[in-house]
Amino acid sequence: MLRRTFLGLLGAAGMGAALSKSALAAGTQHFTGHPGSFGVLFDATRCIGCRRCEAGCNQVNGLPSPAKPFDDLSVLDVKRRTDAKTYTIVNRYDKIPGAAGPVFRKFQCNHCLEPACASACFVRAFSKTAQGAVTWDGSVCVGCRYCMIACPFEVPTFEYNEPLTPRIMKCTMCYPQIMSGQLMVPGCVGACPTEALVYGKRDRLITAARERIYKYSGRYLDYIYGEHEMGGTSWLYLSGVPFKALGMREDLGVTPAPELTSGALASVPIVAGLWPVLLIGIYAVNKRKDKIAREERLQAVAEALTKAHADTEHKLERAKTKAEADQKAAIEKAVKNALEEAAKAETQEGD
Amino acid sequence: MVKGRSLLRWAGILLVCVSVSFVCIEAQGEKEPVKAPESGRPDRIKIDTLAAFGELELPPVTFFHDKHTDVLLKEKKSCETCHSVKDHKLSLAFKGTNAAKPAEIKDIYHASCIGCHNEMAAAGKATGPPDGFCRSCHNAKPTLATARLDVGLNKVLHFRHVESKNIPATAVDKNNCGVCHHDYDKKTKKTFYAKGKEESCRACHGDKPKSGEMSLEQAAHQQCVVCHLNLAQKGVKETGPYVCAGCHGAAGLALVAKKNQEVAAKLPNQDALRIKRGQPDAALITYNPKDESGKAAKPLLMNPVAFDHKAHEKYNDNCRVCHHAGIESCDKCHTLLGTKAGKFVTFEQSMHLKTSQQSCAGCHAAKQAAPNCAGCHNRMVKTGRPDEATCRQCHVPLPDGFGALGGNLAATPQQKAGVAEIMLKSRNLNPGTYAASDIPETVKIKDLTDKYEPAEFSHRKIVQSLTQGMKDSLLAGYFHRDPGTMCQGCHHNSPASKKPPNCSACHGKNFDAKHPDRPGLQAAFHGQCNDCHKDMGLKQLAATNCTDCHKEKQK
Repeated sequence: MLRRTFLGLLGAAGMGAALSKSALAAGTQHFTGHPGSFGVLFDATRCIGCRRCEAGCNQVNGLPSPAKPFDDLSVLDVKRRTDAKTYTIVNRYDKIPGAAGPVFRKFQCNHCLEPACASACFVRAFSKTAQGAVTWDGSVCVGCRYCMIACPFEVPTFEYNEPLTPRIMKCTMCYPQIMSGQLMVPGCVGACPTEALVYGKRDRLITAARERIYKYSGRYLDYIYGEHEMGGTSWLYLSGVPFKALGMREDLGVTPAPELTSGALASVPIVAGLWPVLLIGIYAVNKRKDKIAREERLQAVAEALTKAHADTEHKLERAKTKAEADQKAAIEKAVKNALEEAAKAETQEGD
Repeated sequence: MVKGRSLLRWAGILLVCVSVSFVCIEAQGEKEPVKAPESGRPDRIKIDTLAAFGELELPPVTFFHDKHTDVLLKEKKSCETCHSVKDHKLSLAFKGTNAAKPAEIKDIYHASCIGCHNEMAAAGKATGPPDGFCRSCHNAKPTLATARLDVGLNKVLHFRHVESKNIPATAVDKNNCGVCHHDYDKKTKKTFYAKGKEESCRACHGDKPKSGEMSLEQAAHQQCVVCHLNLAQKGVKETGPYVCAGCHGAAGLALVAKKNQEVAAKLPNQDALRIKRGQPDAALITYNPKDESGKAAKPLLMNPVAFDHKAHEKYNDNCRVCHHAGIESCDKCHTLLGTKAGKFVTFEQSMHLKTSQQSCAGCHAAKQAAPNCAGCHNRMVKTGRPDEATCRQCHVPLPDGFGALGGNLAATPQQKAGVAEIMLKSRNLNPGTYAASDIPETVKIKDLTDKYEPAEFSHRKIVQSLTQGMKDSLLAGYFHRDPGTMCQGCHHNSPASKKPPNCSACHGKNFDAKHPDRPGLQAAFHGQCNDCHKDMGLKQLAATNCTDCHKEKQK
C-alpha cells in the first residue's frame, strides 16, 4: 500500500468515527418528558387581559413593584417582554383577522422538556426537574449568559444593574414554593380569575386541550402550541387565532435544542481522544520507516564501497599482469630483434 | 496575449450581468400589478367578441352601455342603432356581428362606432373617440372597473310580476307565468310553456352557456331587459329597468327594494306573496321509500318530521335557500344511500349537515349566531354529534291514530301532508319558562368573598329578558317549548328541571388538577357572565373593573 493511500484511509476512518451520529444519538434518545411532570395550559380564548397573573407572580416571587400598577391596563398598549424584574407579562394583540376583539397572550418561560438553556450551560446551572420546572442554580452560574442566547423563546434575563451578584432571572413555575408546600399552583395560575391558566399533569392537560378543541369546534385552532415545539414544552397554549398573530414563533420545529448540538458536541471526546493516538501512531510508523530506510541505505553504501574496492584491486592486478606480460614480450621482442640484427650483420660481414 | 484574455473574460462577465439585469427589469415590469381601478360602474362592458377566434391584437374595448343609451334617448334614436330587432325581439349582440367572420366583425364594429362618433363630431356634439385613437377604446388599463350588484328575484318581485297588468297575457296562461317560464322541446328546438312544471331559471341556465342553452346572464337579459324595453316602447309607464344601473347599480336596486316594500306593505295577507306552484303548506318529511332498483326500501326508520313549508316560505326570499337550482323534492336525489345527482349526500345528511346552509340543522345552527341566541349557544358544546334529546326536538311521535298512516311510506303526499298539518297545529310555539314566582328574583353570589362583597345577580330579570328576546321567533319558540330548556343555557350538563343544581354543586375550588376542564366556581362565573355579555353585544365588562359587579369590601 502506498503511504498516501494508507494515510487517506486512516483519516477517513477517524472522521467517520467522529461524525457517526447513530452511536451518539443513543445518548439523546426520544424523550417525551418526565412521566407525570406538571405543566400549565394557557387558553387564549379565556384570557381577558386583566394582568392578575402578573400581579400574582410578582407577589409570590417577591419581585420589585413595577412603575405602573397592575390594574393599569394602558401598559398593554405596547408589546412587552419579560425582564429581570418580571417573570411574566401579558400582551394584547389587536385587529387579528377573524377575531372579534383583542386577543391576549401570556408570556413566560415555557419550561421545555429538553431545555436549550440547560444544554448551553457548561456549568450545569440549569436543570429540568422531574416535576416539570426548569430551574437555575445561582451557586454555580458563571454569568456567561449563553442560556440567554440559546433560548429560542428569549426567556432568561440578566440583572445588568447588579455588578457583583447578577442573577439570571426567569419564571420558575413556582418550583420552590410548590415544593415547600407554600403554594398548590404557580402564582400566576392561582391569580387567574377565568382559569385561562390551568395547572396540572402535562399529559392530562394535553387531553384536556384536545377535549376542548373537540367539544367547542370552531372556537379553537386544532393545534396545541408547545406539545411538540422544540421537542415539547411544559407550558401549553390553545388559541382561536393563529399563534403567529400572538407573536409566537412558528418556525421552531420539533427537534429539541440539545439534539441539534449533541451530535457535534459528543464527537469532541472522540476527536480529542482518538486523533492524538492516531497521529502519534502515524508519526511513529513514519519514524520507524525512516530509520529502517536510513540503515538500509548505509548498508548498501558500505557494500557498494567494498565491491568497488574489490573491482579496483582486480583491475590493478590484471593491469599489472598485463604490464608484466607486455614487458616480457617487449624484452623478448627486443632480444629477438637484437639477435636478428646480429645475424644479419654476421651475414653481411661474411660476404 | 494574457492581457487580451483577461479583457475577454471581463467582457463576458459584464455581458452576463447586463443580460441578467435586463431580464430582471423586464420581468419586474411584467409583474408590476395592474392597479385595480378604484371605482366601478355597473354598465362597463368589455367587448372582446374576437377573443372567441384567437388571441386579440389589441386589448378588449371598454364600453359604457348606459352612457350610450342616454345619448340615444337624447338624440331620439332607437336601440336599433346598435342592435337588430326581429319579431319585436331585440338581439343582445351588436348588429350584424352574430354570424360574421372575425375580419367582418372588426369592420362592423369600427365602421359603426367610429362612424357614429364622426357624425356626432360633425354635428358639433360631444362624442367618443374618432378614427386613429385606438387606445382610447382598446384600453389595457381602464380607470373604471365593472361593479355590478345582483338584483335577484325575490318573492315580492316575483309577486309583482305575477300581478302586473302590464305584462301581455299569453293564450296559455292568465297568471303571467308562461311569459317567462318555459320548457324546451328538444325535437322542435323550441321553448314552450308547461303549466304546473315551472322551474327556476337556474335549473337550466347555468353560469356558462351550453350548446343550445343560454347562460343565466344571457337568459336574464334576453328575457327581462327585452320585455321591459318593449313595454316602455309601448308607452307603459311603470316598467322594470332596462338600463344597466337599473338592476346592477346601488341606486337602481334601492328603487326596486323600495317598491317591493310598498307592495308588500299594501298586502292584507302575506300569504299572497307565496309562489303558486302547488307546493304543500305542510309536509311530512320521510325518505324516498323506493331505492334505485325501484323496490320498496326498508320500513319507516324514524319518526317523520312535520315540516311547515308555508312558514319557511315566509322566512326566506326564494326557493333556492333550501332547494338547489332546480325545485325538486329533497328525497328525489337525497336517498338513503345517496345518488350521483344528489352528490352522494344521503337523505339523513341533507337534513342534518351542519356545514350546509341548505340543510335544516345547518341553517338553524347559523341562526344561533344572532346576538339574542349567541349568549347561550356560543358556549354550548359543539362536537357535530347531537345528543339524544336533540333528535326528539323534531322527530316527535305521530299523533294518536295516525301512526299507521304516517308510517306508511306508500301513503299519498296529500295524506301525509294532512298528518303533518295536524302535527303542526298541535305545536306549542310559545317560548316559555316557569312561572315568575318559581324563578328566584336575585341570587347573591357569596361563595367567594375575600376582597369583595357578595355580587348581586338579578336572576329573574335576566331570565325574563332572554324570554323576551325569543318572543318573536317561531324557531326559538319551537325549540325552547319545554320550560326547562332555556334554563339550560346557564344550568348546563344536568337534565332540565324547575330546580336545577346550583353552580357550586359541580364547580368547586379553583384549579382542581383532577378536572383541568372543569373550571372552579370563580372561573365558571366569570366565564359565563363575561362571554354571554360579549356574545350578546351587551355592556362589555372591563377586565379589571371588578367593582362593576362586586362592591369593594369595607375593612
